[in-house]
Amino acid sequence: MTLIELDGITKTLKGQQKPRTILDGVDLTVESGQSVAILGRSGSGKSTLLSVIGLFDRADGGRYLLEGRDITRLPERRAAALRSASFGFVFQRFFLLKHLTAAQNVAMALVNGQGWLPRRRRRAKVMAALEQVQIAHLAKQRPAKLSGGEQQRVAIARALVRDPRVLLADEPTGALDTETGNLVIDALLAATERGCGLILVTHDRDHAAKMARVVRLTDGVLAPVLPEPAAPTVPALPVVHS
Amino acid sequence: MIRLSGRMRSALIIGGQGIRARKLRTALSMVSIFLGVLAVVVVQAGAEIVRQAALADLELQLGKDGTVQMYFPPTEKGAAAVLETLRGRGDALAQMSTSAIIGEPNTQPVNPGGAPFNDSAQGPAWATEGGGAVSMACDDQGFCRPIDVGPDTGAPRGAAIQLELRVLTGDVRRFIPYQVEAGRWLDFTGSPSMSPRIVVNREAAEGLARHRVPAELHVEGTTANPTPQIVGVVDDGNGQPTAYVWSEDLFNWLPGPAEQAEWVRGSMQVMLAPTAGEVERVLRARLVSAGVADNSVQTHVINVRKNIAEQLKLLRLVFLGLAALVLLIGVAGILNVGLATVGERVEEFALRRAVGTPRTLLAGIVLAETLLTGLFTAALAIGLSAAALRIGVTLLHRPEPFLQNIVFPWQAAVAGVVAGLVAGLLGGLIPAVRAARIPIATVMRA
Ligand SMILES: Nc1ncnc2c1ncn2[C@@H]1O[C@H](COP(=O)(O)OP(=O)(O)O)[C@@H](O)[C@H]1O
Ligand SMILES: [Mg+2]
Repeated sequence: MTLIELDGITKTLKGQQKPRTILDGVDLTVESGQSVAILGRSGSGKSTLLSVIGLFDRADGGRYLLEGRDITRLPERRAAALRSASFGFVFQRFFLLKHLTAAQNVAMALVNGQGWLPRRRRRAKVMAALEQVQIAHLAKQRPAKLSGGEQQRVAIARALVRDPRVLLADEPTGALDTETGNLVIDALLAATERGCGLILVTHDRDHAAKMARVVRLTDGVLAPVLPEPAAPTVPALPVVHS
Repeated sequence: MIRLSGRMRSALIIGGQGIRARKLRTALSMVSIFLGVLAVVVVQAGAEIVRQAALADLELQLGKDGTVQMYFPPTEKGAAAVLETLRGRGDALAQMSTSAIIGEPNTQPVNPGGAPFNDSAQGPAWATEGGGAVSMACDDQGFCRPIDVGPDTGAPRGAAIQLELRVLTGDVRRFIPYQVEAGRWLDFTGSPSMSPRIVVNREAAEGLARHRVPAELHVEGTTANPTPQIVGVVDDGNGQPTAYVWSEDLFNWLPGPAEQAEWVRGSMQVMLAPTAGEVERVLRARLVSAGVADNSVQTHVINVRKNIAEQLKLLRLVFLGLAALVLLIGVAGILNVGLATVGERVEEFALRRAVGTPRTLLAGIVLAETLLTGLFTAALAIGLSAAALRIGVTLLHRPEPFLQNIVFPWQAAVAGVVAGLVAGLLGGLIPAVRAARIPIATVMRA
């Protein structure tokens, strides 16, 4: 089933000097359970695109369908409800609230004025989400006590706790080393196995290669990236002892 | 409904987490508005206590609100009509007053003219040229006036006291809340007693206790002196010695019909309950048929509460204005803290919006946090004032019945809560609007 359909999305930002067109007719289709990587230079507008998809902001032109429903011009009140029900977000900086425990940080997505779950069901959902990213044992820790990879996985659990239709991740491994970065990407990919769509903005070609599709944002337009031929493997040099 | 309560619950959790994470800030906010809220509470409490004191005082002198006083020219026929109409009624009465002496016959009273007994208020007596005696009575304020004690009979000053005797056709306590301090109040039902039952006020009771006078009552215009039974003591707020008696008990001792006594018609005061409209009409008709001109019968409704409120209004306003100024300075403080807090929480609010929290809810939470702070502060200020009042009353240790019955006025508590909420509202509104305006994309610009 088609999850997301973008059709000629445009977005112009009114900067300090003159208005700049960041998105200039973006077309993108994402199916349920599909993963898409978005590549692009810094400042090319990847975050701007994600914020249009995630309803943080509205497009100036074009058409945006979510599961066939036109949500191009959604009033803020309904956009908030949709952000809560259909989207999960992961950011480069983890954005955990430092006065709350890991579990409370995850629960934050449930305590948002959109419906109400009794304490026990809330707890069960939070623990299941932490389980999904393999950090249930850290539930009672505050962010300051967690490593970067652990913090990002708390953030992923927060994004997953409401079983979203789409996961939006904006350079989620940008602040992590390769190994923990891989763990985080695997956690995100695991969610797509349950039918959740994933849009990943990344600079890391290896991570992009793990997605079903890769696109690149250049000059405000998305273009598919063909899989590159594998780089020739260089034999390791013997270590020389002096 | 479910959605609303879900919002409320979410707001409570988020607000609670916010306050807990910033205890020091909350405390600072409270400190900044505390003085202002306290000032409002103290001013309201003070004004209310003064008002109650003035009210209690004036009610004792004039009567409860709504009591109707009736005035008419003193004629014998008119007085007779009034006495006849009001006999045995509970909702209206006539009060007459005269001077009376209790004690040994043919002695000069120890307090000529019915002056108070405390020594400072007793002036010297001079013999005047006309052979009559004049006494000077001075009151607490130092005003002195001559009192004619009648022709000098040469009688020795002895065991007798002079007092004002108020003669009542019905229960005056329905109109004026005299406090019974000892014994009981007069009984205005049943058959009259041959020895008049009287109730004295505190001052008279003190005089009686001090001078141990024999029980014989001499009332102006009576030919025989009955032996009174003193059945009780009341606090009537009156510094002069006074006694109260039922007219039926006393009028037996008058030589002729009561209205023939000059003092009966001369001092007659009529009081009617607010519900006694029918009595008022009948009374008016009887007075007119007794030859009193209709337009000379006038009524006046007592409205003590309103009068006092009007008198105190300006004073209260001035002090409340000062308190409001102090509060306003506190509001600037809470506003400052609130803005700083929102600035610090920009990312939190953007994140909360990203996960779907409606902006109105975020604004509501910021506002709720300052409103709660205002309420806490109000509770603190009210508690402190109430405790201070209690301690103050105990320390003063005055036997004033009014002070003993004093309680912290609810009006002051309400004013404190309102002041706290207003301060919270003023201090929280701008930060709340700011919080609602934070763009979500903040979380992407790392
Ligand atoms: N609020 C804003 N006002 C004006 N310009 C902005 C704003 N946010 C981003 N930009 C500009 O828009 C362009 C795209 O930004 P962004 O979408 O964050 O790019 P990317 O995520 O690809 O690095 C950048 O040139 C940035 O400077
Ligand atoms: Mg970006």
